[in-house]
Amino acid sequence: MAEFPLLTKDFGTQDLHERAVYERTGGYQGLREAFKRFTPETLIAEVKTSGIRGRGGAGFPTGTKWSFLPKDVFPRYLCCNADESEPGCFKDRYLIDKSPHQLVEGVLIASYALQVNVAFIYIRGEYRDQRLLLERAVEEARAAGFIGKNILGSGFDCDVIVHGGAGAYICGEETALIDSLEGLRGQPRLKPPFPAVKGLYGQPTVVNNVETLCNLPHIVQRGGEWFKSLGTEGSTGTRLFCCSGHIKKPGTYEMLLGTPIRELLEEECGGMRTGSTLKAFQPGGGSMQVLLPEHVDLPLDMNEVQKAGSSLGAGAMIFMDQDTCLVDVSMRLVDFYQHESCGKCVPCREGTYFESQLMHKLEAGHATPAELATLSDICANMDGRCFCPLGDTATWFVMSAYKHFRDEFEAHCNAGECPVKARARERAA
Amino acid sequence: MTQTPAAPGPDDGRVGVTIDGREVRVPKGTLVLDAATELGIHIPIYCAHAKLDPVAVCRMCLVHIEKFPKPQPACATTVAEGMVVTTNNAEVTKLREGVLEFLLVNHPLDCPVCDRGGECDLQDFTFRYGPGTSRFPITEKVHFAKALPLSQHIELDQERCILCWRCVRYYDEITGEKEIVLQQRGVQTLVTTFNGEQLKSNFQGNLPEVCPVGALTHREYRFRARPWELQRAPSVCPECSYGCNINADSRDFEIKRFASRDNPLVDDMWLCDRGRYSFPQWNTSERVRRPQLRPRGGEQRDVTAVEAISAAARELRAVVDQHGSGAVGVLGSALNTNEELWLLGRLARDVIGTPHIDHQLEPFEKLDPAEHALGIADIEECDALVVLGAEPEAEAPVLTLRLFKAERKRGARVHRLDHGADPSRIASAVRGAKTIGVIADETNRAHAARVAAAITGGAVRRLTVTRGVNGRGAKDMGVLPGLAAGYRSAPSGKHGREILEAAASGALRALLILGPNPALETAGDVLQRALARADSVVVIDSRPGVCAGAATVLIPGHAFFEKHGTVTNLEGRVQRIRPALPPATPTPTETRVLSSLAAELGARDWDRGEPSAVNRALRAALAPYAAAGNGGRATWVAEAVA
Ligand SMILES: Cc1cc2nc3c(=O)[nH]c(=O)nc-3n(C[C@H](O)[C@H](O)[C@H](O)COP(=O)(O)O)c2cc1C
Ligand code: SF4
Ligand code: SF4
Ligand code: FES
Repeated sequence: MAEFPLLTKDFGTQDLHERAVYERTGGYQGLREAFKRFTPETLIAEVKTSGIRGRGGAGFPTGTKWSFLPKDVFPRYLCCNADESEPGCFKDRYLIDKSPHQLVEGVLIASYALQVNVAFIYIRGEYRDQRLLLERAVEEARAAGFIGKNILGSGFDCDVIVHGGAGAYICGEETALIDSLEGLRGQPRLKPPFPAVKGLYGQPTVVNNVETLCNLPHIVQRGGEWFKSLGTEGSTGTRLFCCSGHIKKPGTYEMLLGTPIRELLEEECGGMRTGSTLKAFQPGGGSMQVLLPEHVDLPLDMNEVQKAGSSLGAGAMIFMDQDTCLVDVSMRLVDFYQHESCGKCVPCREGTYFESQLMHKLEAGHATPAELATLSDICANMDGRCFCPLGDTATWFVMSAYKHFRDEFEAHCNAGECPVKARARERAA
Repeated sequence: MTQTPAAPGPDDGRVGVTIDGREVRVPKGTLVLDAATELGIHIPIYCAHAKLDPVAVCRMCLVHIEKFPKPQPACATTVAEGMVVTTNNAEVTKLREGVLEFLLVNHPLDCPVCDRGGECDLQDFTFRYGPGTSRFPITEKVHFAKALPLSQHIELDQERCILCWRCVRYYDEITGEKEIVLQQRGVQTLVTTFNGEQLKSNFQGNLPEVCPVGALTHREYRFRARPWELQRAPSVCPECSYGCNINADSRDFEIKRFASRDNPLVDDMWLCDRGRYSFPQWNTSERVRRPQLRPRGGEQRDVTAVEAISAAARELRAVVDQHGSGAVGVLGSALNTNEELWLLGRLARDVIGTPHIDHQLEPFEKLDPAEHALGIADIEECDALVVLGAEPEAEAPVLTLRLFKAERKRGARVHRLDHGADPSRIASAVRGAKTIGVIADETNRAHAARVAAAITGGAVRRLTVTRGVNGRGAKDMGVLPGLAAGYRSAPSGKHGREILEAAASGALRALLILGPNPALETAGDVLQRALARADSVVVIDSRPGVCAGAATVLIPGHAFFEKHGTVTNLEGRVQRIRPALPPATPTPTETRVLSSLAAELGARDWDRGEPSAVNRALRAALAPYAAAGNGGRATWVAEAVA
């Protein structure tokens, strides 16, 4: 089975972003059925049955997260996390571009299940077009009676507010998102209390990723049991993978979970470019550890990829060929984290700066072996010490690359230039 | 080292934890950091602060806790039954070295010219727990502004800042103002003021004490001293009746700063700027140094203290002999110690025999024990607080912080109302509150009593904000007309302003003034006329001023920071003051001068008047003071006051 379109099934339809077109493809049926067939409690149970895990990166079971909300504490809030800033990730943008109403419908279904009367969609600042699309979709939905008071005669009221961020990766972290939404500096909060207990404006709050929510209309319509039958035991349903790198057809592909990575690479992405052979790839986005060609036979399964020492993370796949210098890639990723560190905690704020200075020296071929050892020690002093995962993950790619490509890192020491690039240059000459 | 968890104990709201192999039982909800402190185990901290909520941003306090996959911040992790914590293994050593190395990556390392050197947590912990060398390869650090004035008092060095957030949280959690903010992000993050404005808070002086490093410093203290050169005198802030505890830090016979000395029951470690920055006035060289006789129409001459005391006795006796003992007016001050005031009261009533004695201009009617029922710390237990007029907080600024604490921690409603706000309206505003505090200043006591009486349905407690550091002590010691020590009734006399008026009109012929008394000088013209008209003006004062200038007998006094004694704050707390400076005069202390004067006037049973002996005597005579001891509250019961 090459693909299993669920979320992207109708993405070929012209003008799917229009409410009327979306409804013609069966849109807002999920919301109607949610009201008709479920109480909030049974709906949460249904989502639990589906086994769906969050698509935002951490892969936490959605139904379980929902059930953490304390009983009888209102108001509660839902925040849709559309801050998508993970290097290599662009699936949420695709979902919004093609079908903003699918997301609005998902938001409304989740709001009904959680008894939320005001839901927010927090979208990254750079996604200006997508924000406008969403704002328009929300207006259309309001005009059609899907948003507002007594939605579809159900007695349920819900408003949806689209809020644009200002361009900070950290605002994708759920508590930083909440602070940013409240108008504070976007920085993670101390947990506990967890957002489910005390989140936005001090009230119980659920934060879910765009893709997670886009699954809800389908789970409602076709049932949790059906959804669970898709994919593998630990990873149910489908996921969108953002593929980039030295491949023939970069893009976003929806895959049935459990499919081998090789199928994604060779059939969807058209394989590596002519003249390119796979040297390494990074599943899950910029935060995740590097994997080797031998790992392409792993299934797209969160637990399996984790066992191999990485993670499916936020659903990005970056494929790198033989001329890619892993020191160079590490340096660029470290620079990203150094730039995006919110500065709240010491190991991340100062550690990423230290790390970045060392990486630049190493990449330029001027670092000593002692400095390479320092780099590795600095990473050890950061990982697991930071306030939030940003600082921890700022070391993961580097450390995994150092482990798998130790020779390459060592060859940079006192080399005066990047040996990988020098080799590529020689070959070209 | 393997450790075994503590065996579960009885269900008494406490939990057992093991830290570095030692067990301790602490109340549920205790932070690992505090449990360790209980065992005497030091965990280094930067962002954590005893008075602020945890943020866990510096990661200095990370420790190993069994069953946790990652090291945990001791400052933000609460204990659980059977928890096993390690703070002294190689893992934790490495954690600390790591954080310290990071903290120094962009630090300017300018300790030699930093005011904080010697009492800086960054310097101290680097010494104690740090790696010793830096591995940072690039000499170029991130640079920020240095020596940035944030106000007339405070200077900021952004490069020394370790971004612990304490200053920002101080404003959020302690004063409720928003003056300091963080800007930018990542390694570019900096501390600055909101909109670049100057600080306006009345409580900025606490910032350098909250800051763990030399980023926020006092401009008045810049380059003035190293901490190890300072002499520390634990005393009480002389600026108001709140009685905040301070350390008067001096070097080379000059007070260089007032530092806070945490008393959770009073100041909670915060000082107001009026108090904190009042220290330079005590370094003044403008002092009364020599005893002098200045007979009316005669020659002014320097004498010995003994001669001056004899002359004072002679003059007073002459007035008494000629015009009767009621022709003498006696004025103490809210800046005098309890020991001095106790002797002054006895000298006036028992030795001279005059009823005209006071310490301030305005009359103070009989004390109602209810008006001191609300202690400072009790404010935190109130659901509603009524503050009548701006005077209470203007007199005792740190009161504002306690009110804010009640609002923030307990959700208390604070009603700041007009001086004479309608009691029935106040009563309806606080309806539903179970515990209510009513706070008023000394001139508004009667109205406060009406307000308290109008409130029904809740327990009401009152607090009267007295004036001057020992205004409350002066009243307790009977330096009041009609009320002797312990509020025992005495023959009625004139209050302060009446004493001056009577002297000005010639009805009173002698004045005995124990200064310094800045309040007296606000009386204006009548003071001058009184001093000029009286036959005899005996002044014991440390400051040259209107009174000292008009004295017929002048005896040098000792400044607040040159003597031992006790003072009583607005809630009745009796606290020690101690000398921070050597006396500016060889004249004996006021208590000894008063005792000698009494002896000269014929008193037989007075001892030499050492402050400690006087203190014992007054405690023997006044049960509430015996009960208060040093640091407790003297509270009066209704019978004693009758
Ligand atoms: C530094 C950082 C950045 C993150 N960025 C995003 C993001 O852009 N979008 C997202 O959905 N989740 C992001 N997350 C994960 C969120 O914290 C959160 O787990 C997620 O939104 C929960 O949604 P889910 O349960 O539907 O996956 C980020 C986490 C971290 C630590
Ligand atoms: S690890 Fe620390 S500095 Fe980095 S983003 Fe998280 S909280 Fe901010
Ligand atoms: S100025 Fe001082 S208190 Fe404020 S964040 Fe910096 S180090 Fe902390
Ligand atoms: S003291 Fe605990 S993290 Fe700063």
